[in-house]
Amino acid sequence: MKKRNVLDWGLRLAVFIAAVGVWELFVSTAQNFLLPRFTDVARGLFRLLFSEARFWQALYISNQALILGFAISVGIGIPLGLLAGRFRWMDRVLNPYVGVLLTMPVAPLIPIVIIALGLGIAARVFIVVLFAFVFITVNTRAGVRSVEASLIEMAKSFGASEAQIWRRIVIPGALPAIFAGMRIGLGRAVTGMVMVELILVASGLGRLLLEFSGRMQSDLVFATVLAVIIEALALLAAMQALEKRITRWAPNIAIG
Amino acid sequence: MIRVRGLSKEFGTLDNGNGGVLALSDIDFEVHDNEFVTIIGPSGCGKTTLLRIIAGLIPYDHGEVTIDGRPVTGPGPERAVVFQNFALMPWADVLSNITFGLEIRGASKDECQAKAIELIKLVGLQGFERRLPKELSGGMQQRVGLARALAVNPQILLMDEPFGALDEQTRRLLQEQLLRLWEHKRKTVVFITHSMDEAVMLGDRVMLMTPRPGRVKEMIDVPLERPRSREVEKSSAFLEIKEYLWDNLRAMQSGDA
Amino acid sequence: MTQETVTAAKSIAMRGIAWPRGLRRFAGNGALEILALAGGALVWEALGWGLRLQWLPPFSKVMEALLQFVYRGVILANLGSSLQALVLGFSLSLVLGLIVGALMGRYRVVEKALDIYVHALFVCPSIVFAPIFFAVFGLSDASRIAIIVVYAMFVMVINTSTAIRTVDPSLVEMARSFGCRERQIFFRILLPASLPLVFAGIRLGMGRAVKGMINGEMLIAFVGLGALAQRYGAQFDAAKVFAIAMVVLIIGLLCNALVQILDNRLTRWAD
Repeated sequence: MKKRNVLDWGLRLAVFIAAVGVWELFVSTAQNFLLPRFTDVARGLFRLLFSEARFWQALYISNQALILGFAISVGIGIPLGLLAGRFRWMDRVLNPYVGVLLTMPVAPLIPIVIIALGLGIAARVFIVVLFAFVFITVNTRAGVRSVEASLIEMAKSFGASEAQIWRRIVIPGALPAIFAGMRIGLGRAVTGMVMVELILVASGLGRLLLEFSGRMQSDLVFATVLAVIIEALALLAAMQALEKRITRWAPNIAIG
Repeated sequence: MIRVRGLSKEFGTLDNGNGGVLALSDIDFEVHDNEFVTIIGPSGCGKTTLLRIIAGLIPYDHGEVTIDGRPVTGPGPERAVVFQNFALMPWADVLSNITFGLEIRGASKDECQAKAIELIKLVGLQGFERRLPKELSGGMQQRVGLARALAVNPQILLMDEPFGALDEQTRRLLQEQLLRLWEHKRKTVVFITHSMDEAVMLGDRVMLMTPRPGRVKEMIDVPLERPRSREVEKSSAFLEIKEYLWDNLRAMQSGDA
Repeated sequence: MTQETVTAAKSIAMRGIAWPRGLRRFAGNGALEILALAGGALVWEALGWGLRLQWLPPFSKVMEALLQFVYRGVILANLGSSLQALVLGFSLSLVLGLIVGALMGRYRVVEKALDIYVHALFVCPSIVFAPIFFAVFGLSDASRIAIIVVYAMFVMVINTSTAIRTVDPSLVEMARSFGCRERQIFFRILLPASLPLVFAGIRLGMGRAVKGMINGEMLIAFVGLGALAQRYGAQFDAAKVFAIAMVVLIIGLLCNALVQILDNRLTRWAD
């Protein structure tokens, strides 16, 4: 088994090297002087991480919206999903709105949010919430519905109260899906944060990106983007590890 | 004639030669032309592996497997397989499923059509030609599987617990149908089963296998007269053989064979 | 929930009250959902008139703006540009997605080599590549198309590769037992068997492509619906912005329906 693992990672490394190779080739042959080399980007990333205090400042500011927004999304999304899962009439009432929010891109609504809330942190948090909470709701609801009716029946046959059914059957049963929803919601929240930064050009990463591209420092532009990608992947990996920990027993079904 | 000598098969060996599981060890037996041999043994004894080796679907490590003197190196036109979970293409209708083997082997559209109609009548599925597998019961699906195997006119029919996924009533009906078909046009059949009733009811000989690594414990003759009818299940000869099988199997399952 | 429990739940919900039979049937078929939507529209209308907020025009005003768009051909002009990018971007991502996915599904080497990259690109927010494409392609259609490809491609890669990898192995074995060669197995078994899941991926990819189209336009291009939304936003004309959002929503729903029809046609055999 170990041998196979080494081989696999060797393959992945080979792909990485090949990709970098193609990148370097493209840069050297293209006329575009705005295109940085891989080494430039790597160096840029180092610079941002270790000698640019402004980068960490911007990261901190941008992430405020992310964390607050995600927390609120969870706070709204999970209860809504639980209710929709448990009470059929509520589910049917919410269903069309959920359907709309799932398919409709949030981006066109951003100008409206700006009109309503301005350019401050409230608007940024609200946009993140808009991006994320529906996915948490949908997955939570699916989780509640996935709890076998026969399990609830079984609990009732032993005389369990509504509260007990919730605590001991429904919530544990729905937990895998709830966590999957949070994982997907986190990804969406990051998307929301990035959209906010790029459209509002707020005081965080968006402002930084604008500055770098204005000064033609494309290596730093790429490096910043790379940093955001790394942050997103790290957050999602952490969430997934948490999810795996808590839900070792469950099969894999998620919406989003 | 199928001839197996000193066959052994190992699974999961690493490159350095260690770590494998011996599924079959030193298997020796023969199946004569047009003979119906049933194979029975405890779970995990390798019966399915043996069948797949004869079918040419998996390679073997040691020994010799020949059909009419020619060694088995892969699937061939003289053999056809019937699978336990039917293996029907869910997107194709009954007719297309039946003609699949023929099409692969290059038969013309007319040949396929004619053969299919003949076989549908043979297995009793008239009226269901255009239906999809999901619209059929388990018993009907397996009849399609049987028809598909018969369509390519094989000399040897390899059947891997074909009725194992069906309920008892359907199973009994299909056993009777299979016997009727076989009486009508005899072929060599190798039939794997878990059921002692089935093994004795259908076979000319029953091959009893040992737990892993599978060996041939014994080849038991079934001298009941053909054609077999349900009456035969009550005969003392039948019950004797069945008892004998069960005594052996029970002993093997609990570990003191 | 199984089909029986769903119908059981429905009948229990209806039982307590002596609804006339016609109403009961009506209620069973989505009436509650329609009522909920209608109710929402009414509330929107009321709040719009009552609160007189700049960012919340009454629902009727939004509808008016929408109709104005259609009447004056504003939608068509910008729609054309948007849809062009959408079609090109989606087609490209479809081809790439299916090919890469098929290779990954079929050849383990390819799967192991690419899986972490595909997964990473799938989970990370695709919009983050916008500045990169802008730097590479500038203010052009290529940027918009590239964004759509990044949005849509990876979900199709993953679905296609999973679809091919999870084809019932006994079907492959059956085909082999009849003497099928590798190429025949691919076209006669792997391809049809993987169709349902591949279509699910295409449906998801379609939705993603529409989002990529609008997100990209709001950031990069100064053409298309996204640009309109930005412009009206700058003019504080909320009714028009809402109207544009609705147009995009409708586009998304139509595209989804299109794929759904094709899916139903081709995978009637799946359950």
